[in-house]
Order: sequence, then structure tokens, then C-alpha cells
Amino acid sequence: MSFELNRKLAAKRDPLPTNVDIDSVSASIIRGALETICFESCAHLGRAASSPIINQSNERNASIIDSNGRLVVGSVGTPHLTFVTQLTVRYGLMNFEEFDWGPGDVFLGNDPDYGGGHLPDYNVYAPVFDDNGELVMIQCLQAHQGDTGGKDPGGFTLEATDVFTEGLAIPCLKLVHRGEKRRDVIKLVERNNRFATFAGDLAAMIGGVQYAAREMQALIRKHGTDAVRAALNYTVDYTERRFREEVGKWPDGTYEATTWVDADTQGTPDIKVQVAVKVDGENLSVDLTGTDDRQHLVGVWNTYGNSRGYIMTQLAGMIDPSIPKNEGLFNAVEFVIPEGTIAHPPINKPAALGSFHPACEITEAVCVALSEVVPERAQPQVYKIGMPNAVIGFYDNGLMWVDQGVDSRSMDSSAVKGIDGWGSCPSSLGGLLLSMAEDSERRYPVLNISREMVTDGGGAGQWRGAPGSLNVKKVLEPVSAMAWMVSAKHPLRGMCGGDDAIPYSNHFLVGTEDEYKIELVESTMLPQNSVMAYQHGGGAGFGPALNRDPEAVKEDVLDEYVSLQAARDKYGVVLTGTLEEYDLEVDVAATEALRAQMKAAAV
Amino acid sequence: MTYRVGIDIGGTFTDFAMLKGEEVILHKNLSTPEDRSIGVMTGLSKLAEKEGLTLSDFLGQCDAIVHGTTIADNTLIEMNGAVTGLITTEGFRDEMEYRRGFKENIWDATLKPFKQITPRRRRLTVPERIMADGSVYKPLDEDAVRVQCAKLKKQGVESVAISTIFSFVNPAHEKRIAEIVREELPGVQVSVSHQVLPRGPEYDRTSTTVVDAYVAPRVISYLEKLVSRLKEGGYQKQLMVMQASGGVMTKEYIDGSPIRVLASGPAGGVIGSAHSGVAKGSPNLLCVDMGGTSYDMSMVIKGAAPAESGWNIHHRYLVGVPMVQVETLGAGGGSVCHVSGGEVQVGPESAGSEPGPICYGRGGKKPTVTDALLMLGILSAEAEFAGGSFSLTREGVEEAFQAIGDEMGYSAENASGGSVAEMAAFDCWRIVNANMIQAVRRTTAGKGVDSKDMVMLAYGGNGPAFAAVHADALGIEKVLVPKASPTFSALGTLVAKPTIDEERSCSFQVDAADLSQMKALWQELEGRAAKYFADASFNTRDIHFSYQVNMRYAGQNFAGSFELFTCQGAQDFSFLSKNFGEQALAAFNKRHMEEFDHIREGELPEIIGVRLVSSVDTPSPIVGEGFNAPTVAATPAKRRRANLGEGYQETNVYLDTSLVPGNEVMGPAIIETTFTTIVVYPGWKALVDDAGDYELRKVYSH
Repeated sequence: MSFELNRKLAAKRDPLPTNVDIDSVSASIIRGALETICFESCAHLGRAASSPIINQSNERNASIIDSNGRLVVGSVGTPHLTFVTQLTVRYGLMNFEEFDWGPGDVFLGNDPDYGGGHLPDYNVYAPVFDDNGELVMIQCLQAHQGDTGGKDPGGFTLEATDVFTEGLAIPCLKLVHRGEKRRDVIKLVERNNRFATFAGDLAAMIGGVQYAAREMQALIRKHGTDAVRAALNYTVDYTERRFREEVGKWPDGTYEATTWVDADTQGTPDIKVQVAVKVDGENLSVDLTGTDDRQHLVGVWNTYGNSRGYIMTQLAGMIDPSIPKNEGLFNAVEFVIPEGTIAHPPINKPAALGSFHPACEITEAVCVALSEVVPERAQPQVYKIGMPNAVIGFYDNGLMWVDQGVDSRSMDSSAVKGIDGWGSCPSSLGGLLLSMAEDSERRYPVLNISREMVTDGGGAGQWRGAPGSLNVKKVLEPVSAMAWMVSAKHPLRGMCGGDDAIPYSNHFLVGTEDEYKIELVESTMLPQNSVMAYQHGGGAGFGPALNRDPEAVKEDVLDEYVSLQAARDKYGVVLTGTLEEYDLEVDVAATEALRAQMKAAAV
Repeated sequence: MTYRVGIDIGGTFTDFAMLKGEEVILHKNLSTPEDRSIGVMTGLSKLAEKEGLTLSDFLGQCDAIVHGTTIADNTLIEMNGAVTGLITTEGFRDEMEYRRGFKENIWDATLKPFKQITPRRRRLTVPERIMADGSVYKPLDEDAVRVQCAKLKKQGVESVAISTIFSFVNPAHEKRIAEIVREELPGVQVSVSHQVLPRGPEYDRTSTTVVDAYVAPRVISYLEKLVSRLKEGGYQKQLMVMQASGGVMTKEYIDGSPIRVLASGPAGGVIGSAHSGVAKGSPNLLCVDMGGTSYDMSMVIKGAAPAESGWNIHHRYLVGVPMVQVETLGAGGGSVCHVSGGEVQVGPESAGSEPGPICYGRGGKKPTVTDALLMLGILSAEAEFAGGSFSLTREGVEEAFQAIGDEMGYSAENASGGSVAEMAAFDCWRIVNANMIQAVRRTTAGKGVDSKDMVMLAYGGNGPAFAAVHADALGIEKVLVPKASPTFSALGTLVAKPTIDEERSCSFQVDAADLSQMKALWQELEGRAAKYFADASFNTRDIHFSYQVNMRYAGQNFAGSFELFTCQGAQDFSFLSKNFGEQALAAFNKRHMEEFDHIREGELPEIIGVRLVSSVDTPSPIVGEGFNAPTVAATPAKRRRANLGEGYQETNVYLDTSLVPGNEVMGPAIIETTFTTIVVYPGWKALVDDAGDYELRKVYSH
């Protein structure tokens, strides 16, 4: 059933019927107006929501789907959400009659087997009809929910062997019928979330799509249905054309890469992602044949919708950023994602952790494959973190709290040709704000001890990865804590001869006799005052480290991104003076000699 | 006779607005970037001359000189502020680099990193830690502070930012660090986070403090220079300086937190708008200011321009002090029109004022919005431009738009009557309009206002040429164009009240507030305000106090400010009575319903800060209003071929100098004034009110 449904959901959609020829300026004006509506819808949600993951981390997204199920506007939020949105809506659209769609309705979907990503990514959407009762567009808001009512708070169950362990799966559920809230239904959804603040989030999402739907109706009245449809056709075609033009500049060939997840949550090692990206003129295909398909794996299943979306997240980061993000991108790419692999699971597989891994290894593999083709944009749009340390406790009133560990930190910010990795994350995640100690410590009995970048924590290269941070936290009350570690054996890959990032690592009970390193998974009770130390892998390097400008290495040493030792051992740079006196200078002759010697040794 | 003078220094012009009794006198002269105080003194001499006085007699009779400066903005644009160091809590060295994960463009891996004010070598930490409740978890290691000072000294640091965790709850460690820094690094500027921005979270406060430290030496030395020039010139009162919050305050106050002048220029314009709008019976305004390089948008609600602190990114740094919210789009008269990816686009590149648009005839080769206006006939090569400083030329303009049309594949057949170049220019006009309209909508997004209920107020050199198109698209039916609009920011500084707007952090559920603690915090703020106002020769009994609390639901990122009590002069805090919590809750619920259509059942908001806005009234220009003069259709001075959105046609052109109160101009029409061009679009009419200001009204939809 699932594979057949996925084939239907992913099938290419036709342009909208219209009898209007639209000029490019008018089309771009309509597109701009719709992008603004998405912005307004997100602004509404961001201000009204109460869960930190939505209102602080901004893990939310607005997009517009047309009546044929095409993504026509996706302008706000994170690419990882934007590119998953259309399949969930298509499932609802397939059941237009059966589910009684009409003006004023609002639906919810999150089911991994019905076009979705993982359960926490709720997609709330409102169809928009014109005055003749014709469906024109659907406004969607997606946001990551703090909980979905499964076994573990937050929805990430390490040992889950199916989706039902993880929470409530919703293929398509009507929350609002013809403008009236279905209070019993909303209550059911609210009840399947452990956290009281969720009710506010859901209300904010409903309010956000309703607002946007009203604005879209006004836009349709102003321009006319046919003109709007023509503009949507134009914008999708325009994107496809621009994308294809970029691909046309890439050298023909098949570019392959293999990436790995260290292990599944049960310890089966070396989960493989295999990709072949084929460039043929203006045609691009991405083929995941060869990707792991062992059915006994646990936790590492990425939904089909997610796999398509994560491939697109990387591709969209490797083209001109001014190209509008819509179905035209998907129309320009042929996806081969074999059924039964971890990138296209059979029905009912767990989905929560798979949205981290192998989802990010798929993204990474596409980047590695294309790194020689588009070196100036070869930054993997990933989060290689496994699962951050989730800490769960109870307030005095008996209510549960969860610190999801989305703390300020640095990870995975790789270099590209010409620019060192910078900031705390790859660019695609730059819309997600990390949580702050002065907010979280008011809410949770957790003390942030340290979260600084670690010297030599970035992959060396001609351009250097940003160092990863070591986040040290102390729990001030007894708590339960969960973690899943990956990217230790297989850290983030360097590009074009740059070094890999450093491995992730995680220690519990730090500073006690019982301190231990988490090799795979952990789910344990921690006593009061326990300390956890999470070392994030930094960004990877680009290009050979021996080609780095020695002056840049000197500056790195002054800033303690790079140690004197590594300057010599990795970069072949000999410095005089001392760090203490800030009088370091490059010994040019000694550096040239050392580099020559190191290059010779490497050959 | 006494005078009040408002001065606004822009990139190109320094504007003056002088209040003499009830009369306002405007003046403009060129700015002097090498030492901006020279341009100020030149203009003051000019005003003295107009009054038939010597500079010293004139300045001696000045009751107030109020000044808006872009010095802090320029420091950030040029990134040439002080060599700055940061001392922070051990373990938190890198927050300035993480920026909470923020990146400006999530699609662009080639985005360059921001230039760091405090590179890692100058971000140093010391062992110490305060907890959320203010208790000391780890005492301050004073020796470590001295060691870090030595490191900063070796690096030639000129300014030091100090920001430690939870200092806004308990500032003891920060205060002690500041003492040690002053001992170890005498003469170095020090900015301390609990004074600059006493609230969480840590990145917001630290970033604001770092930027404060970076701009402080330049701002302070500039103001000192200006003060001494004015004093030498004969001015005897205190110089008042515009703040981004929309109030003015003395130089002494600004010295304590120079960041408060950042982005103050646009704030002046908004304050001027509010003053003008209220006088004309329009307290809810959407203000649009289009100049040569940017389109600034802001809102006036119920006659006030609310200053909000929040996620205000300026020049790639977060600045969290309260600011009148002004959103900027890089679209101005100088924005370049071009074809990119097969689509006509306008901006973000700007030709600036040098070389400027092609039609300036100063060597500009790229077609701009101003050039498009010339092609459309909205501007004319025959008329004087920018107050008669020069005339526009058509040379090269048509060719440039022809090139755009050719690149787009336009042909004369589908150019609907015009030429290919005219079609291209028209498309550029449509695109820049769409960009601006969308930008306005983004400005109002999530603010709980409906633009249809507002009046637009247009100013800046290019604002009145576009305003009615934007109003139409936003459902707005009235646009105000004050005749003083070209010097509106200077007028605004004259209107702005001396104001101190400060907050202190606290943390209570709304029904369980510790009233005595709140009272103590407000009293502390009152004391500060009274002191600075006394220094500026204002009496406490003349101070208007607004007592506000900052509230949000637990977990919400942004708090709103709610005014709970106002008074003039001292009061006894009886408003902090037992039903205080109920009043606060009612105010919160009302606004949450208005903005978000819901309140959370079973949840109560928390009070996370107290805020006190203290201000005094000063004489402001009186804005005339009303339409008592008999309505008379104005007589056009000439006609020319122009396209006001409905194709080229012979269009009436009126001269501002020959229009009088009561005159009515039906669109389509163009009104040429000294510094700007007002376009009356089809379906609109313009009326001249009793004060000689313009009001555009929508007559019919089309």
C-alpha cells in the first residue's frame, strides 16, 4: 500500500488550467504578494506560539500548494520543512470529496506514511477557494511540535520498531469545518501532546493559516482566478528553467558518493547511503540505489517525502539563491529512491530519528557528489548531531518538563571554496534561533556550564571548518536523560581534499569516578548535579590544508581556533613569537620547507 | 525672541528646522563628512543671518538645539569603531560568533561572515556565575579579571564591553569587573551590559553591549566636539540629542549609553509624522519615507510611535534597546533597474548620489528608478530638480531602458502604444512598487493592525511620487503629504520630547507579583530620570511618567509593554494596589485577543520587566489643519506626456508655488514642488489644506 501511495503522491503534476497569458512582471508581482502572505502567516505563528521550539527556535515554515498539489511558494522557514510539505497536502487532495473539502476548512496531517516527514512536523493547511467555489491554492504552516503523544516525551524513541510507538499518526484530519472549529477533534489532538502549551501552538497555527487564507482570497478577487493560476504556472516554469540552466553549466557526468551513519540505535554498524548524481545536459537525476535496505535496522528510516525533500535541500543550496523555491525544482530532477531502502521505507516503520539520520547523510552524500562540480556552494546542509541530550524532569506541581537541548552552540558549519565555515551552523539552518541559558535556566533546573568552541575543533583545509563547541551542562535535580550518538566513526566529510570534521562525543557523569562515554544510545536516570558534556563535531574543511594562506593560519592561532601544534602538523605553518604576546609571525622560509616536506611525504 | 532649532544630519544634506514663536523656518545645506559639526555650524550661521543676528547673538537666544546624528550608524556601516574587547562569563566566550544560529540568507552558502567587532582573541572570560534567581553560584575571580585586562591591554583595546550571565538580575559581578577594568585600563571606555540593556537573554544583551562599546568613543567625541563648537559660538543651554526610542535627551545622558543614538535619524521622521498626523486628525499612520537609497516604513498608532526592543538587526548586529520600529527596504531613487535570470529587477544595487542616476548627468550609466520616472514623464528634464540645484538630462536614459527591453525580448507591437524603452521603464516602476508594497505589508505583519484603517503619510524626496499607488494597493484611502516633508527628520527632532525610556528586569506570574520589588525598581528608574532631567533644568513636577510592565506567556520570545499608570510629577504608588494583577491581566488579555484572536485558557502571563517612560513637554511647531478655504479647482501650469499607470497621455502639471489653500487637483496629475514631486494618480485627487499641506484622497476605484 505505502509504496503504491508514494508513487501516486510523488507523480509529476500538471500546470493549472487557465486561459490567461501573463507577463513576467505581473507574475512576479503575484508571486511576491503570496510570499508576503507566507511571511505574515509565519509572523503570526511565531508571535503567538508558546513552545520554545516554535517561538524561539523558529522551527516553522509557511508554504503554498496549488490545487494540483504543486509547491508554488515556499519562502519562509527551513528548507528541510519547505520541501516536505506538498506530499502531505496531496494526500488530503486525493480525498477532496471523501473528506468533504470546502471553504473555511482547516486540516492537519503529520503521517510519515501519507506523505509526511516525522510525526512532530505538523502540517496545518487551509484550502482557498475563489468566489465560484473553485479550489485555487492551499496555505500550509508546518511546525515542529514538542510532543506527539508517543512513548517518549518529544517523540524520539530510541528502540521504536514502528511508528505507533512514537506518537499519534494523522493522515488528514479536519480541525475546522466551514469556519467552525471542531472542538472535539481539536481536543483529541491536544490531548495527544504531553505539554499544555501545545494548545496555544495549535491555536496559533490555525489562526495563522486562516489569516493567510483570507488574504489569499482577497488576492484572487483582485487579480482573478485565471491570472493567479497563470502566475503560478509561470513561477513554477521559471524556476524549472533557471534550475535547468544552472545544471546545463555543470559538466556532464555521473558523480557518486557514499556516506555512512555510524550505527542504528541497536548497534548494527555502518548504515550506508549511496548516491549517484547524473548530469546530462540540463537534466539532473539523483539515484539512491545501493542505499542500505536491511529490514531489521532500528531508528534509521527516513520517509520517502523526507528523502526527496532532503535531496532538494542540498540541491537548492547549490544553485543561485535568487531562484524561487517551488515545484519547478522538483520538476527539474529525476529521483530514484528504491522502495524498501532506509530512504523509502515500507509502511509503519519508525520515522522520528530517521529525519536526523540517514536524512542528513542523504543530504551530505549529494553534497560530496557535487563538491567538485559546485565547489563554491559545497556546504553540506546537515545536522550530524545524532540526537541532542534530551533531559526530562518534573516540576513541583507534578507536570513534566523537557529540555530538548537545542542550545546555543557550533556544529557542522563547513567551509566552501573561498570562505571558512562560520557561525554556528550550515546556512540552511540559519533561520532557527538557538535557545539561550537565560531563558532555559528560568524554566528548567539545568545549569549551562560551558559551550565554547574547541581549539582544533574544525576540519583543516585551504578553507577551514568552524570549530565545534563543547556544551557542558549540569542537572540540578534528578532527571532522566536520553541520547543517540552518531558521527563519531563517520564524522562530517571534508570537501575536495579538506579534512573531515572532528567526531561527535558525549560523556555523562563528568567529573565523577563513574564518568562514561556514550558509545551508541543512552536512556538513564541521572542523579542531582550530574554533568553532561556534549562535543559537537565542527565544520569540515575545503581543499588541502597545506594550501591555506599561512597568514590566515597565523590569525587562526591568535584566535585559538587552531593550536600552534596543529598549525605545524596540519597546515605546515611555522610561526615565530608567542600567543601570549600576540606577536606571532609566519616564518616564511621554514613554512615553505615544511610544506614541501609534508607534500613529499604525502606522495 | 527665543528659538528652538532641530538639526538632522543625513549622508548628503544637513537639514534644519527652526521654531520661532509659532513659525517654522526650514533650511538645508550640504553635509561635511570629514567633520560633520562644520556643516552644522554653517547652517546655524545661515539661520542667524536670516534673523539678522550674529551667530553668537543667535545662539545666545536659542532655548534648545536638538540634534539627530547618524554617527553611530556610520560607524557600523564603515566598521571603523573602537578596538573593542569583551569580558564575559567563563564558558560563554563565543556567543557573539554563534549569534543564536542566525544567518541572513538560508539559501546562500557563499554568504560572507560578518566582520567581528570582538574577534575571539579579544573575547575573554572570567570565572563567575550568577543564577536565574540572582544567587551567586560561583564567586567572581578578581585576579582572573586582572589577567584578562592585561591581555586586552597588550592588544591595544580602546573600549571594553562587560556582559555576564544573569547580570540583569544581580549586577554585582559586572559592577566589580567594571571597577577593575577601570583600574587596570585607565582611560578606556567601558560599557556594562546591565546598564546598556538590563534584560535577557544573553546574546541579545551582549551584542547590544558590544555594539555600544564599539560606537561609544566616536559618538562621545563627536558630541563633545559639537558641544564645544556650540559653546564657543555662544550657545548656553544643553545640547539635546535624538534617540532611537523617539525621545531626545542630554549629551550627559547619551554618554552613559551611546547606542541609544543608533538609528535615531529615521526615528525623528516618524516622530514628526506622528505630530503632524495627530494635528490633522489622523492618529493611525503608515509612514513611508523614500529617499535616494532606501524606502523606510514605520507605523504611528494612536498618535504615538511605539519604541520596541526585540530582534532588531542593524548592520549584522543585534541591538536590543527600544527603538521606534522603522523597516528599511533598499529601494530608492538611485536603485538600479536590471535584468537578472530573465526577469526585470530593481535593486538592491544603488547608484547612490554619486554618480547617481543617468539623468543626473554625472556619469551614471545604469538606469535607476529616478530614470524610470523621467521616462514615464513623472519627472521632467525641463523642470528644476532638488530645489533648483540642477536639471535632469534625458541623454542616455532611453538607450538604457531600450537595452532592458531588448534583453527581455520586448517588441514595439506589444508595448501598448509606447516604445520598448518606455515599456521597460514602466515594468521597472511596477516592480519597484510591488517591492515596496510587499515591504509595507511585512512591516505591519503580526502587529495586529489593519492597514485599511490607516492613513499614509509620505515624505522624503521620492515618497510623494509613489505614495498613492501603495496606499491604493493596501486599501488606504487618504495620504498626507506635508509641505515640510523634505526636512521631516529635522522637524521631528524639534517635536520629539525629552525622554528617558528605561527598564529593569523581574520575574513574576501576573497574579503573584512582588509589589514592593516592583515599586523599588520603578523608584530606581524615577530617581535616574529625575536626576538627568534636573541636570537639563527640568523640574520633577513637569515630568510625565508612564509606568509600564513587560508581559508575555511563559516561553514566548517577545514581551509586550503595557501601560498601567500615568501621572505628572511625583506620586505615591497607590496604583500598586491589590487589584494590580487583575488590571495587568486584563490589559494583556485584551491585546492578545486583538493581535492573535485567542488567549490561553488556564494559563497566566508572566511579568518579566518594569519599564518607565519619563518625558517632559517642550514647545512644538503648531501644525495647521482644516479645509476652511473655499474649494477651487486649481489651474494647471502646463501639460506633458506621462504614464501614471494607465498608459501615456497628456497630463496636467501644477506648480506648488501657485497653489493655495482650497485648491483641488484631480488625478491624473503631477504637482511639482521645490524638493519633491507629488503624483496624483487616476482615481485620486489632491487638496491643499489651510496650512498649505497636501492631502490625497481616493475618489473612485478603477
